[in-house]
Parts: sequence; structure tokens; C-alpha cells
Amino acid sequence: MSAMLDVQNLVKLFPLAGTRKVVQAVNGVSFTINRGETLSLVGESGSGKTTVGRCILGLIDATSGDIIFDGQPMGRGRDIRSKALRGRVQLVFQEPAESLDPRIRIGATLAEPLRFLGVNRADRDKRVREVAEHLGLPARVLDQYPAELSAGLQQRAGIGRAVITRPELVILDEPTSALDPTARAEIVDLLIRLQAEFGTAYLLITHDLSTVRFVSHRVAVLYLGSIVEEAPAEALFARPLHPYSVGLLSSVLLPDPALTRTSAVRLEGEIPSPIDLPPGCALAGRCPFADARCRAERPVPVAVAPQHFVSCFHHDKVAALDDTTDNFARFQEDSARLLSVGAG
Amino acid sequence: MSGSDGAMLDVSNLWVGFPSYGEQTHHALKGVDLRIAPGEMIGLVGESGSGKTTLARAIMGLVPPPGVVEKGRVLFAGRDLTALGDEARRAVLGRELAMVIPNPRAELNPVLPVGRQISNVAFYHLGVSRKEADRIALDMLRAVRIPDPERRFAAYPHELSGGMAQRVVIAIALVCWPRLVISDDATSGLDVTVQSQVLDLLQTMVREKQAATLFITRDIAITAHFCARIAIIYAGEIVEVADTRSFFTRPHHPYSIMLLAAFSHNPALRARWTRTEAAGGVATGGCAFAPRCVRRQPRCTQEAPVLRQMAAGHDVRCHFPVDAAA
Ligand SMILES: Nc1ncnc2c1ncn2[C@@H]1O[C@H](COP(=O)(O)OP(=O)(O)OP(=O)(O)O)[C@@H](O)[C@H]1O
Ligand SMILES: Nc1ncnc2c1ncn2[C@@H]1O[C@H](COP(=O)(O)OP(=O)(O)OP(=O)(O)O)[C@@H](O)[C@H]1O
Ligand code: SF4
Ligand SMILES: [Mg+2]
Ligand SMILES: [Mg+2]
Repeated sequence: MSAMLDVQNLVKLFPLAGTRKVVQAVNGVSFTINRGETLSLVGESGSGKTTVGRCILGLIDATSGDIIFDGQPMGRGRDIRSKALRGRVQLVFQEPAESLDPRIRIGATLAEPLRFLGVNRADRDKRVREVAEHLGLPARVLDQYPAELSAGLQQRAGIGRAVITRPELVILDEPTSALDPTARAEIVDLLIRLQAEFGTAYLLITHDLSTVRFVSHRVAVLYLGSIVEEAPAEALFARPLHPYSVGLLSSVLLPDPALTRTSAVRLEGEIPSPIDLPPGCALAGRCPFADARCRAERPVPVAVAPQHFVSCFHHDKVAALDDTTDNFARFQEDSARLLSVGAG
Repeated sequence: MSGSDGAMLDVSNLWVGFPSYGEQTHHALKGVDLRIAPGEMIGLVGESGSGKTTLARAIMGLVPPPGVVEKGRVLFAGRDLTALGDEARRAVLGRELAMVIPNPRAELNPVLPVGRQISNVAFYHLGVSRKEADRIALDMLRAVRIPDPERRFAAYPHELSGGMAQRVVIAIALVCWPRLVISDDATSGLDVTVQSQVLDLLQTMVREKQAATLFITRDIAITAHFCARIAIIYAGEIVEVADTRSFFTRPHHPYSIMLLAAFSHNPALRARWTRTEAAGGVATGGCAFAPRCVRRQPRCTQEAPVLRQMAAGHDVRCHFPVDAAA
């Protein structure tokens, strides 16, 4: 079976105003998403995550590369807004406010995508009630305006608007970063539940690595517009093999003082801006393993295990490092012990 | 010059209310007690609207109108801040008390080089010469590990990354050797890698300068690694306060456990700590957390629990805390 979404060699350059330089926001990104699957795209601010999402949706034109959705190329008039695709691919924003019109009641906002599809009034109302129930939105919320709701309820409504057409693919761009941890956990549960029920595929764009560990099937790590590592979630978190992935994962803080940050790899300095990128590996300037070859030649992805790809000349040296324990899995076990006693 | 038993900051029985027409006054803080020693970083954790910023502002004597401090005392190095006049308070605030908030770009002056912004603070508050102030500012840029500090001294805020700008804000906050630092959600917008660097730095500088630090966050995970003590606030009340180790070994308050549960990806366990039907509405008279509490019993809605000791240095406000044996 071929993938539902197939992105090959995606490049997006932005001209830099007032100069002849360009911002190399996305530099040849390739990945696939299968039906019902979650692929997470992680990476620091400015790594190009949102740009990838916007190219897929056709909200901006890619500079080059191919984006195939359900066997047909996207772009040139076939985008999220075009008739042929309407309702099949949807988007959820970071700020719930961006998906909700402040002057429109939640019920009407939820119904809007159905109206575009030409669904009649009675069926719309029925679907809205069904979806509200699925989302755990109390009935009264349908008559309220966004400003009257908490951030968590607003984001629920934003997700409801995206899933009401039963899309095959939803692009979630930082859906939980504006939320409290408690509200965040509820939204994550909701997304998992909706996927199990409708078989929706997600492209999850996020900074929140501890969520990624438990909701994704596969994870792609983006650095300066390139995917440096891609692997099944468990494999990546148990044994990251790209120096950047190791640095990134060891920075995540978990709520347990015993789970200290293991930083076998120390990355120097900060992410440079993606202008005039050097020819070699994007990480070469910060990487403790970098040598002359890294600075001259761009590493290509190598398969180190089934579905596990690393773009690094020295991934064997990373593999030879003292074992990096999967703190995320350990935290799951430890917290289970704390949580399993005392509930009412 | 610190308090009788070594506390730099001593907040006791602090009440803050926001009166509103035709309705009852909303008490944003209801009898908060908090003490911080020099060099100690204490984490204050609670959800949105629990009163964290209100506490920070009340400590500085800057509760926004129509809010008023209804009761209580804030002793800072032995002086009652709530009793100081505006001018005296401003003098103390700039020099001895520093606040770090998120969104460094809004904090910084966009048309002034960042080195000069640090230097100005030193010049006005330390009474040193211009030249000396510039030297101190350069040292600070080095201390907060801005790469190439000589060149960055002349950089404008928009030329810096978010992480670098946040470090400049920390440099400004710490340049006068403040004795109290309040950080209100200051690292939430940063990438994890940058966040760890910034927090390491804040922790080192706070220790070195023996500043007492109130670290406000909605993210309990940060406090596990950077704070010596942790206080959980719910609806304007401290519901649990403990040494970090003790807290994470055995949190006692149902709300604390619910906060931790949010990080667990075990939906079944999480559900056990979440009351879905907030039956019982708003608590009146009883425990403020009762409507959401999975351990609630009849007594909880009738009688308000007080803060009591569970173990040395570990206090909990709950009639039915989860105890060590459980
Ligand atoms: N319209 C644009 N014009 C010029 N540069 C742009 C434009 N949009 C994005 N960029 C640049 O492209 C790079 C990637 O940006 P993008 O927003 O995709 O990153 P991101 O990974 O989503 O970051 P964040 O986590 O902060 O949302 C950045 O350097 C950004 O400044
Ligand atoms: N200027 C104001 N007028 C009226 N009520 C206010 C005002 N400022 C705060 N409050 C109320 O005081 C309570 C505490 O607010 P506060 O801003 O201290 O919360 P917080 O814990 O800092 O939340 P967050 O995590 O969202 O920053 C809230 O219920 C809020 O509605
Ligand atoms: S006092 Fe009762 S309602 Fe309040 S937290 Fe304890 S058990 Fe829950
Ligand atoms: Mg983005
Ligand atoms: Mg606040």
C-alpha cells in the first residue's frame, strides 16, 4: 500500500528583504505518512516545522519538491481550499483564537466546514451535536462565544472544527503549547481517541517532546530545515543516534528530580539563522564529532534499523556512547507507582 | 539585615481582593504564607488564575487597581514592603528586588544597544562611573554566556535570538546584585535546549549572589530540577509546600497529584485523579479544591482544611491527604 501523504525533497526558500540572500527554511525534506498514523515533526524554533506544514496544505508554494496526497500531486490549484480536497485535509493552530471567530458562537463555527461541503441544516446540527459529545464539550458551550471559554475548551472547539468533516489527515501545529499541563493532557487524550475511532492520520508539529514519545508512531527530528533523524518513537527515545537528537532529548525536563539530564553530547552555542548555510552538515558548527568531511559534505540518511534513518557520518560514535537511558519510560513507571495509590 | 530567622522574604497571611460592582469581592489570595532564605530558589506552581502573578505583584507592592491588599504582611529583609511609600519602594525595587518576565523583546528597549541597557541599570543604581558601568555590563554579558560579548554589547534586541534576549533580561535583573529575584513564567516560551541553559544560568547566578528567588511557573517539571523547595498554589491558597525531594517522593495533596498525573501518559491512571463532573459547584466554607477532588468526603464541603505538617518541612492543606503508607 502506498503512503497517503508522500513528501519528497521539499525545499522552501524565502527571499531576504533588501538583499540577494535567501532564508533556507526547508532544505530537501522527505517523509511519508500512512493512513491512521501519527508522524511527529520536532525541532527547535526556526527549524522549519510550520513551513513544512504550510507547504503541504498549499498555503504557501514550495520552491521545489513533490507533495503527493492520495496519489495525486498537491499544488497548482489543488490545495486545502480546493473543491476536490475540501474537508479531507484539515489544520489546527497553536492559538485556538486563530481557528475561532470571536463573533461567532461555537456551534456555528463547528458547522461551518460542513456548510462549505453543502451539508444540509438538519444533518449539520446532528453532526455538531455528535462531535461536541465526542469532544467532551458541554452542550451549553455550543451557544457560547470563544471569549467565554477557557483556553482548553477553546482548543477542543478548534479540534472539533477540524475533525467534523472526518478528514483523512490533520496537521496539528503546536496544538497544546498554549495550554496548562492539565488541559494539555486532556487534549492529547482526545486526539488519541479521535484517531482510534476515525482512523485519522496526524502530522503533529510540536516542541513538547514528552507528549511526542507517547502519541507518535514515528518521529522526524528537524534541524535547520533538514530531517537529521527519523525513527519509530520508542526507538528514537530509547536510543537517539544523531548528535542533535541526543542533545535535544536530554534537555527535556521531567517532573522527577531523580531523572537528571544526561548530556553525553554537549552542543555548543545556538542554532544559527538559516541564511548562507555552509555546504556540509547543518550541525557541523556545533557538533563535538565534527571533522573535515562533516564541514564539506552533506550527510544523507542511512538506515540503521528498520524505519530508523540517521543523517550523520559519525552515528556509530554516538551509538558507542554510554547508554542513554529512556527517562521518559522510567518516568512512566515511577509515576505509575505514585499515582496508583490513594485515588478516591 | 534579613529576617529574624534568616528569611530574606517573609510573607504572612497575605490577602488580596479584587472588588467588583454588584458582586462579592474576588479574593485572589487567601492568607498566603511563604518564606524564602538567601540563595534559595523556591518554585511556585499552580494553574492559570491561581494567583501566582498576584502574589508576585503584592510582594512588590504593585497590585493592579482595583485590587487591594486586604490583610497580611510582606517583610523583605526585615522591612514591611506593603507599608513603604511609592518613592521608597521604587528605590528598593530597582536595586534590591528584580523581576524577570517572559517575552524579553517587550522588556528590552528596541532602539538601545543591549550592553548599554545593562550598563544603564548599573550606572543608576550602583552609583559607579559610566566607564565602570560599561565594564560591569560586559562582565554580565560574559556571565550569561552570550557568545562574542564585545561585539554583542553594541547589538540591538532584534539582532538577538529569543534565548539570547532572555539572557540579557536576566543580566539586567541581576546586575545590581538584587537580594530577591522573582521570575514569573520567564522561560515558558523558550526551546527546551535554551530553557535548560537559561535555567542553569539563573540557578548559578542566584546561588553566587545569594539572592532569594521566587520561581513562578505552570510547569512542575522545571521545579523538580531547579528549585530547593516547591509550593503548590490553588485558588489563592498554598495547598502544599515541601522540600523538592520530599515533594516528589510523596506528594500528599490530591491537587498536587493531579498536577503530576498530567505528565503521565497513562490515561487510566490520569482518569483516576480527575473528577470529570465538577459536581458541588463552587466551594463555600469548605475546601476550595473539593469540587474537583477525587478524595472528597462530606467533611470537605463543610470545613476548610488548614495547612498542617505531614513530615519535617512538608505541609499540606487537606483533610484526607494521601499519606506515606498509601
Ligand atoms: N514568510 C517568511 N519570510 C521569510 N522567512 C520566513 C518566513 N516564514 C518563515 N521564515 C523563516 O523560515 C525559518 C523556519 O520558520 P518556521 O516558522 O517554519 O519554523 P518553526 O520550526 O515552525 O519554528 P517555531 O517553533 O518557532 O514555530 C525561520 O528562520 C523563519 O524565520
Ligand atoms: N486586574 C484584575 N482585576 C480583576 N481580577 C483580577 C485582576 N488580576 C487578577 N485577577 C484575578 O485574580 C486571580 C489570580 O490571577 P493571577 O493573574 O494572579 O493568576 P496566575 O496564577 O498568575 O495565572 P497565569 O498562570 O495565567 O499567569 C484570577 O482569578 C484573576 O481573574
Ligand atoms: S480536603 Fe477533601 S476535598 Fe480538599 S483536597 Fe483534601 S480530600 Fe480533597
Ligand atoms: Mg512554527
Ligand atoms: Mg501569571
